[in-house]
Amino acid sequence: MTYRLAPIDTSTFAAERAAAAAGRGVDGGDFTVIGSVVQRSDARGHVTGRTEFFEDVLPPRLAHLKMHRSARHHARILDVDLTEALAVPGVLRILTHADIPNNLYTPLKLIGVGPDDEPILAVDKVRYLGEPICAVVAETEAAALEGAARIRVAYEDLPPVFDVEEALKEGAPLVNEYHGQNHFIYEGHHCRRIRFGDVAEAFARADHVFEWRYQSAPIEQAPAETTGCVVVPQADGRLRIHSDTQACFFTLDNTALILNTPFNKLRIVGGTVGGGFGGKVDVVVEPVACVAAMAADRPVRFVYDRAEEMQVSSPRAAERIYIKDAVMDDGRIIGRKATLYVDAGAYARHSPYGTTKAAAHLPGPYAIPNVWADCHCVFTNRTPSSAMRGFGVTIADFALESQMDRIARALDLDPLRLRLLNAYRDGDLKAHRKVAEGTALVEVIQKAAELAGHELPEAYRRMSSTTREGL
Amino acid sequence: MPSQIVSLVVNGERREFIAAPGVTLLASLRESLGLTAAKRGCAQGACGTCTVLVDGRPEVACLVAVETVAGRSVRTLEGVAAGGELDEVQNAFVDCFATQCGFCTAGMIMVAEALLDRDPDPSEADVVEAISGNVCRCTGYRPIVIAILEAARRRRGAVSR
Amino acid sequence: MVIQAVHVPESAEAAVTYSARGAWIMGGGTVVMPLVNSGAAPATELVSLRRAGLGGVEVRDGVARIGAAATLAAVGEHPGLSFLRPALRTIASPTLRNQATVGGNLFVAQPYGDLAVCLLALDATCEIAGPDGRRDAPVADVLASGVGSGEVVVAVRAALPGPGVWHYHKAMRRRLNSAAIVTVAAVTRTADGVVTFSRIALGGVAPRPVRAVSAERLLRGRPLTHDVLTEAGEAAHGDIDPFDDAYASAWYRARVLPVHLRRALLP
Repeated sequence: MTYRLAPIDTSTFAAERAAAAAGRGVDGGDFTVIGSVVQRSDARGHVTGRTEFFEDVLPPRLAHLKMHRSARHHARILDVDLTEALAVPGVLRILTHADIPNNLYTPLKLIGVGPDDEPILAVDKVRYLGEPICAVVAETEAAALEGAARIRVAYEDLPPVFDVEEALKEGAPLVNEYHGQNHFIYEGHHCRRIRFGDVAEAFARADHVFEWRYQSAPIEQAPAETTGCVVVPQADGRLRIHSDTQACFFTLDNTALILNTPFNKLRIVGGTVGGGFGGKVDVVVEPVACVAAMAADRPVRFVYDRAEEMQVSSPRAAERIYIKDAVMDDGRIIGRKATLYVDAGAYARHSPYGTTKAAAHLPGPYAIPNVWADCHCVFTNRTPSSAMRGFGVTIADFALESQMDRIARALDLDPLRLRLLNAYRDGDLKAHRKVAEGTALVEVIQKAAELAGHELPEAYRRMSSTTREGL
Repeated sequence: MPSQIVSLVVNGERREFIAAPGVTLLASLRESLGLTAAKRGCAQGACGTCTVLVDGRPEVACLVAVETVAGRSVRTLEGVAAGGELDEVQNAFVDCFATQCGFCTAGMIMVAEALLDRDPDPSEADVVEAISGNVCRCTGYRPIVIAILEAARRRRGAVSR
Repeated sequence: MVIQAVHVPESAEAAVTYSARGAWIMGGGTVVMPLVNSGAAPATELVSLRRAGLGGVEVRDGVARIGAAATLAAVGEHPGLSFLRPALRTIASPTLRNQATVGGNLFVAQPYGDLAVCLLALDATCEIAGPDGRRDAPVADVLASGVGSGEVVVAVRAALPGPGVWHYHKAMRRRLNSAAIVTVAAVTRTADGVVTFSRIALGGVAPRPVRAVSAERLLRGRPLTHDVLTEAGEAAHGDIDPFDDAYASAWYRARVLPVHLRRALLP
């Protein structure tokens, strides 16, 4: 066999292992799972093709939904003409915002984040290219596509804003009227803030001050299976939703709120996801598919095509980050000031939460006594961004670690020693007032240096996450 | 032109069904014949999740108008584990952890079957080239390449025994 | 548009009849079917060449005759066309090469269609069937302006390059299955250390494959050295009309063209 098993450290749980060996295991456990090969429980289904993904559900009389989407970045909708589309053979129904019981939502309302800021189907305005306006339900996918292509929308163009700093300037076009300004408000504040120590004082006494700017692009999760669902009306009036959502209960609750229906009228069948990576957390296909299924009284499938997945499914947010550091000659960082902008796109989705995560992550895994951070969640006329693997943290890490390398280069210091010198230790108070515990950065760097053949002086090799040795 | 009756030999059996004009081989397999192992990932021929064998050669079924392959022989993943017994490729995919979400698996296995039918002892480079039209977003490809090489090894062993 | 009919005729003449009636010609489907699947088909009827008897590949007396519906795989597997094998392996994946056809390759938008770049360098001839009978046309004309209404390319003919005169190089984002940043295909003959003849075709640097005539002119009578080829590559900037796409910017394509032209001819 070609996979490798790492040797297992059997010195841990010694008493439990002995008990298990003597036939007195706790809860029937024998402590042999780690260190042995355990077959994936879903592998047989995958290799035989019997795993059931949502699109493998093919109920009789299945109808198909395709969306007519905004052709503009930012525009007022003057008129929507459905005449030609309704004449396409096979088109059953065309839904507009008037058909959605509660046409305004935000996925995070369930944890008290507001305001609701996003129409399910656009009402009087579109705020990003590809925003859904009308849903065409038809006998076949081809008829639904043809119907969607024949809807005529008259627009009055509005000036778009695509840059986070431009969006925050006085007089910038207002992207999202439900917020009233182009940023999310955090408990009355214009951004998520960290104030720890006195950075002004740190900059005043620093030997060196370094400031650099970092910018990332949006990143699409690009799962192999596109976002979608099949909704099947049940004889008892309930709706069964087969979905590839990564968040079944999130989807159930939000869909019920949008449909204005009790939660127990919906049933989600999910959990089998053809790749998600955070891209299938927003609740974007199920609510409108449910309305369509009720209106047509037929099962309805709504699945993104690849172009929709790339264009309108929410990516990782683009971020712009400015980091300014107060650094002493020996490499100790005594102050760090960060200004971070998350490009949420036109709607909040999960970006207010991602921005908070970014703030909590600053100033990175380093014990810096003076920290100031302003983290802005900004609305622009771009595709709404949302969750993706460590969102809020990943791009900050790219910026923070680039910053560390640049400081090391500027001061002609070993980049690993610079990090060891500043790494947080157990007991350090982090900038957001949590005491660090279970830290292991020091040991990880030491081990990485050893594996890479990177020489560290004795003093640095003796450093530990649990002591102040060498500081 | 109305829908027409199309006949294919699917996994060794002659199957007939009614196809609307322009319907793909993929949609026919999935929706007319109930063979859902082949997946629709992009409908553009870019991801390989719908790969099946047409007369023994891998093709992306999403780009085949079904009328154009009438009468020909099509093999899908459902035809691989005949009688419920996994073959060497399937077993190797399980044993080498070459599956994660499972969405690319059917296409990967069909490409591997065609490769090993043609070349029982492929090099690693041959395997990488063979699956170069199949996208996997979860595994990073290494376990899949290892599994296909392992399957080849097992199949050769079975032959020589 | 919603597809109303897919015709699968058994002869080139029947294909011409459907084509003349407005049906859209489809070789292997790798270009047409993505449009069908996204509702963007340019016609309501398709005519497939899969069964029109145009799949043959023959090599005789130093001339290759390749049916328009021959797949890229069939071309690559023909023992008489082994010089094209490295080029074919840079095109898409083995799976797609079982579907994509030689005829279709002439009509795809750049940065796809590397075989068409090769055929341009080989100065191939297209055999065309149409409502008014058959005619031949240089591949350069077909690449530049297509074929007439109702016409179907049924085969491509090309003289095989002799040993040592064929060159091909493709710069791509990945080693396999990636479109062209710059593709260079060339037939170049030398005598006494200097170039006596060259025909250089470029892909990835204009909406259609183009001849690098400025580079060809500059090379005549000069040796194939690093410096001369770099100069020729610079001269080729006069022959291109590069574009931005997800693979590379127009600026990048132009910037790296001299490097890849040199690498094609001076491995």
